[in-house]
Amino acid sequence: MKAVQANAGRTKNRAGATILFGIVAGMVGLSFASVPLYRMFCQVTGYAGTPKTENVAASSGVIDHTVTVQFDANVNGDLPWQFKPTQRGIEVRLGEETLAYYTAANVSDQPVVGTATFNVAPDAAAQYFSKLDCFCFTEQRLEPGQEVSMPVLFYVDPAMADDIDARDIRKITLSYTFYRMDGDGKNEPNTAGIASKGNSGGQS
Amino acid sequence: MAYATTAGHGEHDEHHPTGWRRWVYSTNHKDIGTMYIILSLIAAILGGVMSWLIRLELAQPGIEFIENTQFYNVLVTAHGFLMVFFVVMPAMIGGFGNWFVPLMIGAPDMAFPRMNNISFWLTAAGMALLVTSAFVGEGPGTGWTVYPPLSSIAYHPGAAVDFGILALHLAGAGSILGAINLIVTIFNMRAPGMTIHRMPLFCWAILVTAFLLLLAVPVLAGALTMLLTDRNFGTTFYVVAGGGDPLLWQHLFWFFGHPEVYIIILPAFGIISQIISTFSKKPVFGYLGMAYAMAAIGFVGFIVWAHHMYTSGIGANARAYFTVATMIIAVPTGIKIFSWLATMWGGSIEFKAPMMFAIGFLWLFVIGGVTGVVLANAGIDFVLHDTYYVVAHFHYVMAIAAIFAMFGGYYYWIGKMSGRQYSEKLAHIQFWIFFIGVNVLFFPQHFLGLNGMPRRIPDFPDAYAGWNMVSSVGAAITMVGTLMFYYIIWHTHRHGKTAEANPWGEGATTLEWTVPSPAPFHTHEELPVISGGDHGHGPAHGGLKPAE
Repeated sequence: MKAVQANAGRTKNRAGATILFGIVAGMVGLSFASVPLYRMFCQVTGYAGTPKTENVAASSGVIDHTVTVQFDANVNGDLPWQFKPTQRGIEVRLGEETLAYYTAANVSDQPVVGTATFNVAPDAAAQYFSKLDCFCFTEQRLEPGQEVSMPVLFYVDPAMADDIDARDIRKITLSYTFYRMDGDGKNEPNTAGIASKGNSGGQS
Repeated sequence: MAYATTAGHGEHDEHHPTGWRRWVYSTNHKDIGTMYIILSLIAAILGGVMSWLIRLELAQPGIEFIENTQFYNVLVTAHGFLMVFFVVMPAMIGGFGNWFVPLMIGAPDMAFPRMNNISFWLTAAGMALLVTSAFVGEGPGTGWTVYPPLSSIAYHPGAAVDFGILALHLAGAGSILGAINLIVTIFNMRAPGMTIHRMPLFCWAILVTAFLLLLAVPVLAGALTMLLTDRNFGTTFYVVAGGGDPLLWQHLFWFFGHPEVYIIILPAFGIISQIISTFSKKPVFGYLGMAYAMAAIGFVGFIVWAHHMYTSGIGANARAYFTVATMIIAVPTGIKIFSWLATMWGGSIEFKAPMMFAIGFLWLFVIGGVTGVVLANAGIDFVLHDTYYVVAHFHYVMAIAAIFAMFGGYYYWIGKMSGRQYSEKLAHIQFWIFFIGVNVLFFPQHFLGLNGMPRRIPDFPDAYAGWNMVSSVGAAITMVGTLMFYYIIWHTHRHGKTAEANPWGEGATTLEWTVPSPAPFHTHEELPVISGGDHGHGPAHGGLKPAE
């Protein structure tokens, strides 16, 4: 009788421990899942200045409400490129599909692959800033000395005019920072740091 | 009569292994608890020496003693890690938790005795790795928060940070296993009649703490793994160039880190509740409110993490939310403070050493709590972030308060654990030295912080010299109080009077006082039966009947 009871207790303990181990595994999984989950959250809400880039439909209409879009360009120190906007700013009507250009030039003597991160300020405008196409969606490869024009096609969603937090915005800044993507262009930027830092230093 | 059933258990003692096997292979909750406490005592000396070196350097302006400033960074880092992971957590959860949760709920041992053993040795191995990391390369100088990019391979190229990461992985695994063990023990192994709402508040505290560990530590493990692969395998979780973000670390770290401070202080709440009830000779005022206040603090603790990140660039709306959510913690915390006071109110209070430390705890915790409400305001925090005001705040509210609970718990239970009672006179002297020491040490740091002295810097302008000297004198007084505690431990074991089963009289009503002192190797083999609705406070209120 006692042995039976002891066994029942042990089974109950095992079941309890199994559930708790499951919770632990779930929390570890969540900590990694936080990366894609946060990305999705930003995509949907425009949080922290994330412009719309996924599933952007063509503009549905143009309204008579203008904002100035300003262009900002930055280059990480490891990337031997010059990178600047072709125009400082454009006045656009909400809903108007607009093409803007940046210019990038490889000033080193080797082919270099780079990719750009992007952001919109102020934050409240980001969810209305819709990119139809952008050089920043793909990696860019420049041959030694090559200079290219890099286009971005965007519009500002007319819904912004109805947003109490965003309707008074008159200037939107679109900012890019180019980073080096080494080697085969896979996701291996210069983070493993010091060794590759030395390389690029030699080239530039 | 309650003692009669348990007195016979002593005869089982001859079955247990002896010598080093008794400890290394131990599956006994009391022996493992003792090992945790010894580990904590060793780590406390290491962490304490580091803090005294820090205060020595900070006594005067200029770089006086520690010329290698990276070594100063390593001291600050290792002091934090040791105190959090290898002093407070092992003593409270592993030590007192192991010892007294089974005794208080009437269980013969923990649910998984062998897992209990591996929990301890993982923690011990983690501590060994952490101490090793200080001697690898230039050591980890990242602060206990290990923020990238400072902790990235570019700024800490040696293996020291990797050692630190693996040390935390091991200690974290030990904590998680310990937490699972405690939860299963509390849910499945309570004696007949010991319902969850009759459990002593210390067991409630440990239960909530174990759930916090279960939910928070895996997130730290995930974040550390990302840091490890960023450093060594070229991933870019925290590197902007690869699409990552160093802020990710801050979010993950503080999602763990904020519950972590409750992991440290909740067991202290439990100990303080037992002590105040015992020495006021009254059941705890508002038992259910006390229990669910701890659960509420545990829950809210998971949704306030970004109040550590007000200055990191999070949005105004996020700051507003985190300010409000943080303020809400004051509600359940206030419930606890006032219930402790109400427990004392009208009680027949005996100012024995554990009670002195419990009252000292209330003083420190209230001061730290008030400055916490100040810091919770995002606007004020912009000014005070990373100043000595924050250092003073968290040392009061969680570090020194937790140490007071540990001292109180030690004096409260040492008779039960060792069979010998401490000297009341020595303990009172130690209390006053330590209490004065920590207040002289930390109170002036509020002034330094309000005047803008930054944390984690080994030098400061001459304008801060006065209060820094006072603070360092306080550290010296605290050092005397600390060393005296180690003397009292020796004195108790060498000269202590034999402890009775219940040295505290009618106020001590929980089950651990029904077994002899020292508690025999095996206890509660015949399960006690609890009846009546008086929250685990048995015989004095007629609730406890020994099993036939």
